[in-house]
Amino acid sequence: MKAGRITNQIRTLRFLHGEMSQGDLGRAIGVTRQTIAAIEAGKYSPSLEAAFRIAAVFGKPLDQVFQWEAEG
Amino acid sequence: MPYREKIAWLSLVGMAVCYGPYFALTWHSPLLDRPLPNLELMALFAAAAGGNAVWTLLGRLLVRVKTLRDERGPADERDLAVDRRASTVAYYVLIGLALYVGGFMPFTSTGWHIVNSMVASVVIAEVVRYAMIVAGYRRGVT
Repeated sequence: MKAGRITNQIRTLRFLHGEMSQGDLGRAIGVTRQTIAAIEAGKYSPSLEAAFRIAAVFGKPLDQVFQWEAEG
Repeated sequence: MPYREKIAWLSLVGMAVCYGPYFALTWHSPLLDRPLPNLELMALFAAAAGGNAVWTLLGRLLVRVKTLRDERGPADERDLAVDRRASTVAYYVLIGLALYVGGFMPFTSTGWHIVNSMVASVVIAEVVRYAMIVAGYRRGVT
């Protein structure tokens, strides 16, 4: 299996949506502020459902919010 | 710090403070060789377990009061993922220790030595679980 990691544009998208706070985004999709912080930092890969919910909050398709970065 | 990480730290410290002295006093102690009913040993264990219960109760109340309402709601998917991984590791630790205590110790030890080792197995598994929860929040679950 090829190694890689999930990256995301959540920080940028929050900024573009009126500097939306991590807490507000968390409340919108039903997770805590710390979980949003962990997702942004790449310390937690969200479930597919949470990923779709985040994309829906920003009105973007999933692949504009999350990307797969293959290593090597 | 996430609410559940604070609870895990609280539980880890509680285990160290309450069960640490208990096992330091009783491990390989002549207390374990006394005949039934070994009330002195049972009193020590009751003190450790009771102390841990009081510590946990008061600590949880304090953490609850000091944490914002938003952050101490129901567990979200990351909380569940962290807990699932920690519980899985702790389960294997407990099974390994239980197999040792139940399958090997009866040939080498007797009575309270075996009982105390089983109690130690449960405490070690709990310590592993809380340590894994702390590590899960610190290092991430991907």
